[in-house]
Amino acid sequence: MDNNAPATDNPVDYIQHHLQPLAVGDGFWRINIDTMFFSILLAGIVMIIAYRVGKRVSDGAPSGMQNVLESLIDFVNGLVKEAFPKPNKIVGPIGLTIFVWVLLMNAMDLIPVDLLPKLADMMGIHYLKVVPTTDPHTTFAMSLSIFLLCIYYNVKIKGFGGYMKSFMVHPFGIYLAPVNFILTLVEELAKPLSLALRLFGNMFTGELVFLLIALLPWYIIPIPGSLWAIFHILVITLQAFIFMVLTIMYISMASEESH
Amino acid sequence: MNVTATLFGQMITFIVFVWFIKAYLWEPLTQAMESRTKKISDGLAAAEQGQKKIEQATIEFSTRIDQAKTQASSIITDAESKSKNIVEEARVAAREEAQKIAKTSSQQLEQEINVAREKLKAEVAAMSLLCAEKIISKEIDKKMHDKIIDEVVNK
Repeated sequence: MDNNAPATDNPVDYIQHHLQPLAVGDGFWRINIDTMFFSILLAGIVMIIAYRVGKRVSDGAPSGMQNVLESLIDFVNGLVKEAFPKPNKIVGPIGLTIFVWVLLMNAMDLIPVDLLPKLADMMGIHYLKVVPTTDPHTTFAMSLSIFLLCIYYNVKIKGFGGYMKSFMVHPFGIYLAPVNFILTLVEELAKPLSLALRLFGNMFTGELVFLLIALLPWYIIPIPGSLWAIFHILVITLQAFIFMVLTIMYISMASEESH
Repeated sequence: MNVTATLFGQMITFIVFVWFIKAYLWEPLTQAMESRTKKISDGLAAAEQGQKKIEQATIEFSTRIDQAKTQASSIITDAESKSKNIVEEARVAAREEAQKIAKTSSQQLEQEINVAREKLKAEVAAMSLLCAEKIISKEIDKKMHDKIIDEVVNK
């Protein structure tokens, strides 16, 4: 694609170009470099901040970044304590990580939609998807990890037999076991699927609307662009929050003694 | 979406991220928050204890003050009664002394009166003798005169 060609010359090409990930490899070994790069970059930034704060943490009066992170931890801990009757060591960190990570990855959406791809184009990289959460690999990676953790907790708390039994007897009792099995299976599989697709769908459509706005003449762009960006701040935060709350809920449901 | 290495890469990233946050942020920070909570509650408990101690000290202080006040007032009343006694004794002694002095002085006065009376008697006698001599030189009726002298002397 020609660098200087206006986006409006060929809208379909423009959008398709933007939705094309920067990928290498084929088949299973196909790796979306842009997704990996930006998600790991954001995770790295958070890890550096977390490491610096965690290293010189003090139980006196907190200040600066420690204050911010403490209020975040308090916020997540409040949700965890509401959902969990018994204390659980791993859910809090998972919830916090998801919230911060998803929030930051979603926030990449607010960077002007052409800025980073254009810069990359100048450096010879012709495809770039900036927002990792518009790649289903990212959202499914999180939701499947949580799904596996849910299975682990189910087996750990109820035992393998107990877990299987819960497939058989809910929701209609043991006499309708096959129906129950199918229903519960669908219910369980719907959890990670809906979790991942909700975030992916929201971010993907958000990105798409930004692309459509970018197709407008330059003197019209600022009005719908800024309006959508302001509205999108809400979507970004809300989706991160929903992902975290549902994660906490699913794990708490998995670690209940019995339904 | 195909299952690709990207998915597993993202899963590994996610797991590492969670582990890192748990190890380096969540645990130290929650521990710090807990220990801060404990510190604050300890501090509040200590403050409450201090308040109690102050209250006790105030009570003790006021009882001590009361004791001291009663002691002082009893000392004052003692001193007052003692001083009254002393004044009373002094008054009695002074009165007795005064009476004694009055008695002796009146006795002396009487004596002096007596002495003066004797002197007066003697002088009267001498004067009468003188008178008699003068009368004698004029009249020689001794009998009459003797009678007069006797009357005078007897007086």
